[in-house]
Amino acid sequence: MSAAPWVCRSCVRSLRRIGFAQQFVRRASTDSVKLPPALLERARFLTAEHDQLSAQLATNFDEKIAKRAGEVHRIADAFKKFENAKASLQELEGLLKSDDAEMRELAQDDLAATHDQLAESSRNLSVALTPKHPFADMPCLIEVVPGPGGTEGRFFADTVFKMYQAYCTNKGFRTKVVQYLAADSTGEKGGDGETALQEAVLEVMEEGAYAHFRGEAGMHRVQRVPATEKSGRTHTSAVAVWVLPSFAENATASDGDWDNPESDFYIDPAEVKSEKMRASGAGGQHVNKTESAIRLTHIPTGITVSMQDSRSQHTNRADAWRLLRSRIAQKRREAREEAARALRSSVLSSAQLTRGDKIRTYNYGQDRCTDHRAGLDVHNLPDVLRGGDTLGKVINAVHGWLTEKDIQALLADEEAAAAAANAPPKGRKGK
Amino acid sequence: MPRLPPSLFWRARKQISPFAPLLLPVCRTLDSTANELRWIKQHVNSTKSLVPRRLRIWQACLKRGDRGMPLQYVLGTQPFGPLEILCRPGVLIPRPETESLIYHLHSILPRHSSQPLKILDLCTGTGCIPLLLSSLLPASTKISGVDISPQAISLSRENLTHNITLSHLPASASKSINFTKADIFSPGFVPSLGYKPGELDILVSNPPYISSHGFNTTTERSVRLFEPKLALVPQVTAEQYDCEPEDVFYARLLEIISVLQPKRVLFEVGDLDQAARVAAMVVRGKGALEVYAQAVEIWRDEPGVDSHEEGVTEKMGVDEEAEVEIKGQGNGRGVYFWRRDDQESE
Ligand SMILES: C[S@@+](CC[C@H](N)C(=O)[O-])C[C@H]1O[C@@H](n2cnc3c(N)ncnc32)[C@H](O)[C@@H]1O
Repeated sequence: MSAAPWVCRSCVRSLRRIGFAQQFVRRASTDSVKLPPALLERARFLTAEHDQLSAQLATNFDEKIAKRAGEVHRIADAFKKFENAKASLQELEGLLKSDDAEMRELAQDDLAATHDQLAESSRNLSVALTPKHPFADMPCLIEVVPGPGGTEGRFFADTVFKMYQAYCTNKGFRTKVVQYLAADSTGEKGGDGETALQEAVLEVMEEGAYAHFRGEAGMHRVQRVPATEKSGRTHTSAVAVWVLPSFAENATASDGDWDNPESDFYIDPAEVKSEKMRASGAGGQHVNKTESAIRLTHIPTGITVSMQDSRSQHTNRADAWRLLRSRIAQKRREAREEAARALRSSVLSSAQLTRGDKIRTYNYGQDRCTDHRAGLDVHNLPDVLRGGDTLGKVINAVHGWLTEKDIQALLADEEAAAAAANAPPKGRKGK
Repeated sequence: MPRLPPSLFWRARKQISPFAPLLLPVCRTLDSTANELRWIKQHVNSTKSLVPRRLRIWQACLKRGDRGMPLQYVLGTQPFGPLEILCRPGVLIPRPETESLIYHLHSILPRHSSQPLKILDLCTGTGCIPLLLSSLLPASTKISGVDISPQAISLSRENLTHNITLSHLPASASKSINFTKADIFSPGFVPSLGYKPGELDILVSNPPYISSHGFNTTTERSVRLFEPKLALVPQVTAEQYDCEPEDVFYARLLEIISVLQPKRVLFEVGDLDQAARVAAMVVRGKGALEVYAQAVEIWRDEPGVDSHEEGVTEKMGVDEEAEVEIKGQGNGRGVYFWRRDDQESE
């Protein structure tokens, strides 16, 4: 299927690459989404493709075809249910005009339920059509960096890092501390034994961790009286959380094959400068220092990664490459999202997760945690910071919000595209 | 070395841990102190003992900081590629430069070798080179390590079983790798190996290469005080070889090579000057060594990393007539040469 140039590149790419399945349970919503013609057109097209593939499979099994059929199955299924519901409604409407009074009464009884069915199936269809984030199935790296300003942010960064670590432990997610760098400019300890953090990276080694945590990316704001503050004034500081897709160490070639130049994770080794940060000098048999820090610089983007956590230079190098790949993939993805955003209405742009947005506030004085996007307030802050169920509640609310935004973005894309094409949807589909 | 400012000590104490000032004199920076303390704690946490944890951390910090014992001897291990190499006083600690050389050597071997490779590592120490090569190559590869030191040989054998136990190596490695105690200078040495000429695929060696002068001026204190001098400075006179005293092992290794005629050879060396001298010995080699003369390279610490613009190669004159290519970044660290008459190695 070749798309006309108007189509948001990233959507087409991701649609093709990963398929459409949407994991989240939708929040019950009152009004049904009005599906734009372009979206319906696409659903119809993919359903036809699905039926054709199924027919092929019936006579002749082929792994590739089966895979593709599996990818579009959900959409075909949702589309058929939607068509059924629509047909039922039409039938009922016909019956309502019937001369037979009893018939009309029967139809009237069924009307409300059928309307609901249509509403539900149209929502399901739009969810099925929403592209799954291309990194959704991957493990992730959660990077915590204090915002600009004093030590307070560094102390809170430590708490945020530990919050995610504890949350993962509670959930039974396997994690690994890839990097934990204490800031070395102060000698103080924060409250609750907080360490002043310079940067820390936690790897969540579960499949799908990226989808689970991607909504955590952004500015986390803390309002509290710092342990070091004598006058009892409340301070506001911030911590940046970045969520990057990560490769499981033994990732199979399929999903994010980083030897494949098409992949977001691909890096041309010739474009990376690798430095050993061993003290300069004679080296070799003259020196036996354990340290074997590695620094990688991606020359085209200037992105630098250094790794010194392990005694093994082998591990440091592997970890540095992994982090570099993740950062670059994220950057590429963001660049594509930026391009997609330009197509959408300005109303939606605030929904994008950029690093500068303040997404959440932790207010100690009021024992409150607020997620500004999901519009959710929860109390029992200690449980949030312990990574308990209360944090789970917040994260779930963000999932709901993200799904909503994804759908709106998709619809906006379709509309923008339709407007740009300035032609009826039928004419736009090349083959 | 300049004295550390007192403020650094209280900062280490407040910021890292009460133990940190113990490590600071050897680690010199807060970053490095924090790292080593973390490694010590990880080690203490992962080993069982009746002695209380904090006491063991304190003892380790004291050994490391106060006496300057290498961390690898304190903890008893050093990572080497994916392996964990046991380390003990009396046997040289494996270096990251050696690890990089071996990785690069592995990366340039032809993928499609029909027969299992035969490899010999002379002056094997902990056995780190045979073990790493074995983890990188097919299980059928036959590798032998030789060392004069009984402590080294028993440690290398321990390392073999240790890494099999950790599943870093397959159980079959206990058959495909062997370690032998021998003096490479002894007259019967070459025949005792039992290789037919030309049968050996790779000969590797990281022999003692430091000069007496270098040992007193350049070698780190902790190396001088705690690592065996036998592993660092050649304890053999160079009289019968026409070379610098610190190059005597290479002269002997070339004699061995002229008999065994391995397809490829990799030596680790101390610096670029020594690399040039050793390369010159190969280039000027007579008789059976002539097959190598046209195929010599000098490798830096990171031989796989380009330091130049594309298409530019770094070269160095090692002899009135001969120039050799220098590969990679860092200090001069290796001399690599191969048999020109061997089809496969081209
Ligand atoms: C620099 S260490 C290298 C150890 C190991 N290959 C490595 O890279 O870590 C040199 C080794 O050569 C051994 N050695 C010294 N003289 C020797 C000799 N005459 N014959 C065999 N081995 C010798 C020492 O015992 C020491 O283990």
